[in-house]
Amino acid sequence: MNKLDELMSDVADYTKGHPYLQHITEVVETVRAIVFHHGEAASESPFLRDYIEIKRYMFAVVLAVLPATFAAIYFYGWRALAMIAISYVAGGIAEVTFTLVRKEEITEGFLVTGILFPLILPPSTPYWMVAVGIIVGVILGKEVFGGTGYNIFNPALVGRVFLTISFPVAMSSRWVPPLTGGWAGFTQYSVDTITTATPLGVFANSGTLAPLRELFLGTIPGCLGESSALLVIAGGIFLMLAKIVDWRIPVAYLGSVFLFSTLGMFLWPNQVAPPLFQLLAGGLLFGAMFMATDPVSSPTTKEGRWVYGVFLGVMTVSIRAFSGYPEGVQFSILLMNMFAPLMDEMVMTFRYGPVQKPYK
Amino acid sequence: MNKTKDLFMAGLWEDNPVFRQMLGLCITLAITNKVANGVTMGVAVFFVLTASSFVVSLIGDTVPRRVRIPVFMLVIATFVTLVYIFLQAFFMPLSQALGAYVGLIITNCIILGRLESFSSENSPWDSLVDAAGVATGFAFALIAMSVVRELLGFGTLFGIQVMGPSWTPWVSMILAPGGFLVLGLLIWVQRAISPVEEE
Repeated sequence: MNKLDELMSDVADYTKGHPYLQHITEVVETVRAIVFHHGEAASESPFLRDYIEIKRYMFAVVLAVLPATFAAIYFYGWRALAMIAISYVAGGIAEVTFTLVRKEEITEGFLVTGILFPLILPPSTPYWMVAVGIIVGVILGKEVFGGTGYNIFNPALVGRVFLTISFPVAMSSRWVPPLTGGWAGFTQYSVDTITTATPLGVFANSGTLAPLRELFLGTIPGCLGESSALLVIAGGIFLMLAKIVDWRIPVAYLGSVFLFSTLGMFLWPNQVAPPLFQLLAGGLLFGAMFMATDPVSSPTTKEGRWVYGVFLGVMTVSIRAFSGYPEGVQFSILLMNMFAPLMDEMVMTFRYGPVQKPYK
Repeated sequence: MNKTKDLFMAGLWEDNPVFRQMLGLCITLAITNKVANGVTMGVAVFFVLTASSFVVSLIGDTVPRRVRIPVFMLVIATFVTLVYIFLQAFFMPLSQALGAYVGLIITNCIILGRLESFSSENSPWDSLVDAAGVATGFAFALIAMSVVRELLGFGTLFGIQVMGPSWTPWVSMILAPGGFLVLGLLIWVQRAISPVEEE
């Protein structure tokens, strides 16, 4: 056994018997488990061929958003990393407080929420807003429903939407242009604030389309993690190949956006942007890869996932084209989260007959 | 004396009309974005509820059961009209801010509920105490909600700046979502302090 592992194990044993320190035993053991993943071995059949649980799952997602995180630092400076750190600290405090009060185990679910949340914020979001958003997301999006695994909505999106409706100025009109060339953001702390608009915002106002190449590489204003389509797609493909997320949701979502924006472009040419622009601009790719595929708040049946993805696409294209908001991914995913259990139940009813109700 | 205190406290806390009985939520959500509105509505409902409770407890035995609801409504409407005219005469800006909601006190189920379930069957004194307790509980809920919402939504209390000039208003708190969120959180707090016994 590793020396550090032994030490942490000793610390955990010591705190368990201590009258005051016993409350932090959970914290120590969680950190130990995260760093030195102890797979459990079965002594009787059935033997699992592949041991996958929430910890490995969550780590794969964090790994998959790392390229997008590096892009965020490259384009917007080290302030992006500061935002992620604040999100982890503030949300972590909320999460740990709840688990300690409820005397439950601390789970790793928060690791994903804590990094996804800052990545879907505008680069110039004030630090205190990041903290407010993640605390609202953790408490109102997850803990009130019973904690990790019981949430109806994606906690990161709950925090994002709360900020969107609370602080409309900071959240939708203070975009900064990304840094490019050479080491760009790696040598700077933040971008000097020059207010610009996102490609979707520009299209909604003037009908001008940003060049596809820039959208693909990410040299356009947008939220921290969503700008570079290339790196987001890379992360998404990694998750799909590792079978961490089901490919059906992103494929159905992106496919239906493609289909319906092609259709819409001919019917309402002034309001609906062309399909490739729709796919690459804004938070669609990031949402489709990392948010809509959240295992807790998306449907669990295959057919349910297809339907879920298709409706997501219809809604995103409609909100982008016909509502006051230029971007509709966050609202679409939250709305469809609500219908995920219904879709599963419909699929089950279709397959096995009416679902037996546990209550009268 | 103890009974009086218990009656009053039940309405104020254990059976709080908003946090426990979930009544009068329409008004609660609609007008609590400013403390001044919350206080005005609390006082108005206090007057209407105590006065109509007292009157109904006096006539409760003589009113035939079949027509009791129309009779109660008439009593309530009389007092609501008094409040409405009073507000218009002396507090025009507040009357405008509350809009239709003063008139809608007539249909507030807190009031009809107290008359129906308590005042019509109890003595005038007990009815008065019960009404005062429930009305104070309602005012308490309104003020608690509006303090949170005005503080976060405008950075002010009674229109006076308290959060400093650099305060960024939380727009959602003034709008409907903030009302629902704050109501839910306060119900949570109230139930955490005195838990509900599940049946």
